[in-house]
Amino acid sequence: MKGHAPCPLAEVKGQNYTKIMHIPDGILPASVCITGYAATGGFTWYSLRQINRDPNPQENIPKASLLTAAFFVASWIHIPIPPASVHLILNGLLGTMLGYYAFPAILIGLFFQAVMFQHGGLSTLGVNATMFGVPAILAYHLFQLRLKFDKDNRVVTGIFAFIGGAGGLGIATLLFFALVITNIPATIDASAEKMAISGLVLAHIPLMAIEGAFTTAVALFLKQVKPELLES
Amino acid sequence: MKHGLDFYANLDSPIHRWESRCKLIGLFSLIFAFSFVEQLSLLPGMIVVTLVYYYLSRLPFSFLRSRLRYPGFFLLAITLLLPFSVGSTVIVQIGILSLYQEGVVALALIATRFLSILTVSLILFGTAPFLSTVKAMRSLGLPAVLADMTLLTYRYIEQFGEDLTKMKRAMQLRGFRATRFSRRNLNVLASLVGSLLVRSYNQSQQVYQAMILRGYGYTLHHRKPPNPKNRVSGGDLISLGITVAIALGFVVAEILVERQS
Repeated sequence: MKGHAPCPLAEVKGQNYTKIMHIPDGILPASVCITGYAATGGFTWYSLRQINRDPNPQENIPKASLLTAAFFVASWIHIPIPPASVHLILNGLLGTMLGYYAFPAILIGLFFQAVMFQHGGLSTLGVNATMFGVPAILAYHLFQLRLKFDKDNRVVTGIFAFIGGAGGLGIATLLFFALVITNIPATIDASAEKMAISGLVLAHIPLMAIEGAFTTAVALFLKQVKPELLES
Repeated sequence: MKHGLDFYANLDSPIHRWESRCKLIGLFSLIFAFSFVEQLSLLPGMIVVTLVYYYLSRLPFSFLRSRLRYPGFFLLAITLLLPFSVGSTVIVQIGILSLYQEGVVALALIATRFLSILTVSLILFGTAPFLSTVKAMRSLGLPAVLADMTLLTYRYIEQFGEDLTKMKRAMQLRGFRATRFSRRNLNVLASLVGSLLVRSYNQSQQVYQAMILRGYGYTLHHRKPPNPKNRVSGGDLISLGITVAIALGFVVAEILVERQS
């Protein structure tokens, strides 16, 4: 065997791929990592319970799996904001489309990111899954609120997709903020650290608007081309 | 699969021969023990243990180096940031830049824990076919829905990655250049994602029908004979015992050193 294994997906991912909000290994203390796994276990159990209420949950497994793979790949698309570019988290969009399947989908997506590309980490998988998965479920419920209005109206769909997309990233950012702030080691200057993290959180406000606008555009595209993807 | 994750799964080494369930439990306990370490004095031990396991796995160094490409950005960022911005005890002053003791300590802790956990993760997933690892997770209690979703997602990630590359190339051939942020560009990229989702949805229906034809969801009522490959040997249990003991050793040492200081 010569040389190491080629990773064809790295070519698709591009060079400037960064994920600020994925907490890597080695940052958080073991107690937080274990609590993260416990929380993820609880949310996964609850999601699977909801999934098993479907008349035929087995039928949805291939659909949820292939959409998970598609979302995993779609999150590599960069939105150009010169002089740099940003990539989207898409947890809000995932929630609006997959409902309770979104939590296992995010858990699996983060697991693959950790083992394939070393983004995030195995010890922090539970924490990251809770941080992105809970907002995805909340985004699903926010998007479902459109049913109380005229669900066939494009404007109503667009508004609730925006709220779901922006809210998904917004809640994830707040959870990230809370986690990092509460786990600053005592030796580190807490005020400087808080200021830096606050700046990072403020920088996410325009990203929330972009994520919301992108979720709206995808939802309206699907409403026109494949409406059942939003209904199921 | 060509993800490169289990490219070296067919090598012959003590770690490759280690039964998958014992390997999962042992190496995961090591990962959590490493994340528990807060004392500088334990870092050399952590590095030695990691190197010994990597040596035993016979994975080439190029594999580890290639996997450090993206985490390298994170390491570079903390190396540039922590020693110069965190702490109050100045070690060296170079012009307006001050090197702080607390920052250097934080960097050593985070970077060593990060690299050790990452290397152990690579040993865990690089020394067995991915299918075997998921089967081991399933037999250790991973819900069937999660195991099925993991395998199906793994199967289709590469295909959709190639689809996305083709679709982006087709867009570029038609003159699309995403060089600035505009509503039009956002809509075009949203249509690209939407098309990818519709394709995957359509394909999932064919996949489900193919799975049903192959008996998916049908439960066998007779017990299958156990696969001799999955049998746990005495050697597997001894390796598991040693690894768990090392992991517990780190936890106990951390508690003792912390009490003394």
